[in-house]
Amino acid sequence: MYTITSEIDVRDMARGAVLLGSGGGGDPYVGELYLRNQLAEGRSPQILKASELRDDAFVVSIAGVGAPTVIIEHLVSTHTLLRLLEASESFYGRKIDALISAEIGGVNSMFPLALGTLAGIPIVDGDGMGRAFPHLEMTTFGVYGCAATPSVLMDDSGNVVHVHTTTNRIAEDVVRSVCTALGSQIFGSFYPMSGHQVKQLTVHETVTHTLEIGRRIRRARESNIDPVEGVLGFLNAPSEGRYARELFNGRIVDVLHETRDGWHWGRVLISSGAQEEPEFCVEIQNEYLVARHHGRTVTIVPDLIAILDAESAEPLTAEMLAYGQRVRVVGYSAAPIMRRPECLKVFGPRLFGIDEDFRPVEQMVESL
Amino acid sequence: MSSALRFNLGVDVGGTNTDAVIMRGDQIVAAAKRSTTADVGDGLIAAVQAVLQAAKMSPASLATVMIGTTQFINAFVQRRDLTPVAAVRVALPKTDGIPPMVGWPEDLIHVVGRHGYLVGGGSFYDGREYAPLDTAALEQAGRDIRAKGIRAVALTSGFAPVRPDIEKRAAQAILSVHPEADITLSGEVGGLGLIDRENAALINSSLRALSGKVVTSLRDALGRVGIRAPLYFSQNDGTLVSTEYATRFPIVTCSAGPTNSIRGAAFLTGIQDAIVMDIGGTTTDLGFLVRGFPRETATAHLIGGVRTNFRMPDVLSIALGGGTRVRGVAEDVRLGPDSVGFELATRALVFGGKDLTTTDVAVRAGQAAIGDPGRVKSLGGDIVNAVLDRIHGQIEEAIDRMKTSSRPVPVILVGGGNILLSRPLRGTSQVHRPAHADVANAVGAAISMVSGRVDRLFDFAIGREQALEQAKQEARAAALAAGAEEGSIEIVELTELPMTHMRTTAVQVKVRAVGKLGGVS
Repeated sequence: MYTITSEIDVRDMARGAVLLGSGGGGDPYVGELYLRNQLAEGRSPQILKASELRDDAFVVSIAGVGAPTVIIEHLVSTHTLLRLLEASESFYGRKIDALISAEIGGVNSMFPLALGTLAGIPIVDGDGMGRAFPHLEMTTFGVYGCAATPSVLMDDSGNVVHVHTTTNRIAEDVVRSVCTALGSQIFGSFYPMSGHQVKQLTVHETVTHTLEIGRRIRRARESNIDPVEGVLGFLNAPSEGRYARELFNGRIVDVLHETRDGWHWGRVLISSGAQEEPEFCVEIQNEYLVARHHGRTVTIVPDLIAILDAESAEPLTAEMLAYGQRVRVVGYSAAPIMRRPECLKVFGPRLFGIDEDFRPVEQMVESL
Repeated sequence: MSSALRFNLGVDVGGTNTDAVIMRGDQIVAAAKRSTTADVGDGLIAAVQAVLQAAKMSPASLATVMIGTTQFINAFVQRRDLTPVAAVRVALPKTDGIPPMVGWPEDLIHVVGRHGYLVGGGSFYDGREYAPLDTAALEQAGRDIRAKGIRAVALTSGFAPVRPDIEKRAAQAILSVHPEADITLSGEVGGLGLIDRENAALINSSLRALSGKVVTSLRDALGRVGIRAPLYFSQNDGTLVSTEYATRFPIVTCSAGPTNSIRGAAFLTGIQDAIVMDIGGTTTDLGFLVRGFPRETATAHLIGGVRTNFRMPDVLSIALGGGTRVRGVAEDVRLGPDSVGFELATRALVFGGKDLTTTDVAVRAGQAAIGDPGRVKSLGGDIVNAVLDRIHGQIEEAIDRMKTSSRPVPVILVGGGNILLSRPLRGTSQVHRPAHADVANAVGAAISMVSGRVDRLFDFAIGREQALEQAKQEARAAALAAGAEEGSIEIVELTELPMTHMRTTAVQVKVRAVGKLGGVS
């Protein structure tokens, strides 16, 4: 267990959470400001290793659901978070011993930290994705049999909706509909689990990863070391099962955005300038899903793709990409649990309409 | 009178110098440079009298005066002349987890105070109100603010770009109990993003007392010289606003300095797409000119340590200028990053000083004939070459960072420090050194156009084309209202940002229209 006490750590975590968002998950800026305000008021989040949980501990995921455009206007309400905690404990009939993020990539890395800090509940060092995904059912929790519901949803006006569905996929549809009906931003508790389940089903230590990623980038900048190299120093650690490679360095020559059925689709083309034709392409469906070099796949979901500002290594979300930016693209291995066949059936390439099998980034890049 | 025949006075009131040019159509009639003074009006009078004298003109023959100034941004960055501000946010039951001014630098809070008020009201993205406007709470806040003796109020409500009327009603409630309140509405200074927009409103509020003083001082100064022509101010995007508007919204002028420099450089060379490099005494600022306007930053921007969603020219500053100090030996030469700055004229070797600067090296290399070249004779050829290698290398690297493709681009050099460069620059197609480059800022002010902007959600259910047409019409109407000549208005920017994670037809659309300043009677 450790405690986050400095604003610098919070900013580092937010930066790291953007990188793990693989382009999606929403800008954690709102969550970052919330935590900085909590620290200023003397409260600090406590981060707990899953192994430190008692097997019979009761753990839930806290998440915001909504659109990035809406959260930057509606922000987050302390009142709502506290009421959500109260309503959840009363609904589940148990005191919540720890909170966990379902999605460490993007803004949902921050809400469990926000409520945990506020209410003095520890936050588990891990999550259910190790990245960001567009759907509620796309978690290791869900793949290994934990139900996303029963669940309590709440908006800032006091509307409360209890959801109990037969499958996690249906839960996703119902939650999304409730969200739209309530102004496109709600908060909810999902995936009620025992401490024993958390130990088995979690992508471990990802809260610490957000901190470490952000910190490596910041420290490299401060010491005038290439910050992309700085962060690769952490991400690429084969002895710990992590692999990362710089895939490309160039300028964005085209960004295509469109929304289909509420999802952000797009494609970004990057060129080194050495040739007329763009050499590198990243396909987007809310997140960066597949990166191709001269048409050859070099990283594919659930492995992560990070697009970083070429100078500062600031990770860029899909919304931030613009023509002319100089960027460097990094491919990063998903946690081993995420790459198992049963997981690929829930969030592998074909689930996103990509007619390709998953292959690990380290294999595809080695064979270049 | 057609605009081509009118005489326009363009002025740049900078931190160090006040520059003035008189232009007639595309012709520069005369230019002058004087020191900026503590009361900016005095420096303005000196520069204007000098330029009128050089042009042999009477003040009455000027048709329009355009001023660009960095006074407001400098004041905010240096935390001087700012007033305490009250932040009133109409958003409850939402947003209470992040009160106003979270994350602001402590030194700034110390000056403007932490006076936040959250009251009920606000709108969903689709314009429906999620809570009624709590006028009783607003009146209570208004009374409290009045009791504290604070006049400047920044008022922000949720989704103000969609429902600007909520902020207007809230302002009425405050004014009903605090008639002296000077209120900035967030919807008037920013787009979507409540925190960034609220920050912009707060910055603006803190500058209002100063803007009233500075604008009055400049207007009175012109009056004292006998100029009766209408006065306009340059804003961030290189277009003009009225004196009334500049007084109410000083934040819109915050980066007019670099914008005017980039636009002035474009005008002086007739080039529409290029990198503009302003080499001053302490820094070199590079901007990118696209279709005659500065390229703007795509991401959130910090002003004096505060995040806003104001779009600013994308300017890269490197610590290299004519006053940059040179240390070391030929094998290991170091440039700066410190500069002798405005003391160049006393501290550089060629001016009898003791510090070796980049200017001394340029003189030794025969690139400039200033000061006493005899004082740098002893500088060896090897160190001169090493310094020139380093200068050109740094400039080339900066150019490369600004470029969007490997294709060579033209570079326009302005600012007094351009004597540092003598060799061809890698990655450039041509290097232009236009006449009057030292007053490019004032020229940029003199040629400014007027603009109208729209940044809000549009419902594409009526069809994308129709919705975009509606957005363009609104931007054109705003440009017209700002004084543009109807026939000259064109749309220079159009961005669509669809809402993700929602099944909705609402799309955020940003449009900018610009036009020539219409005939002024």
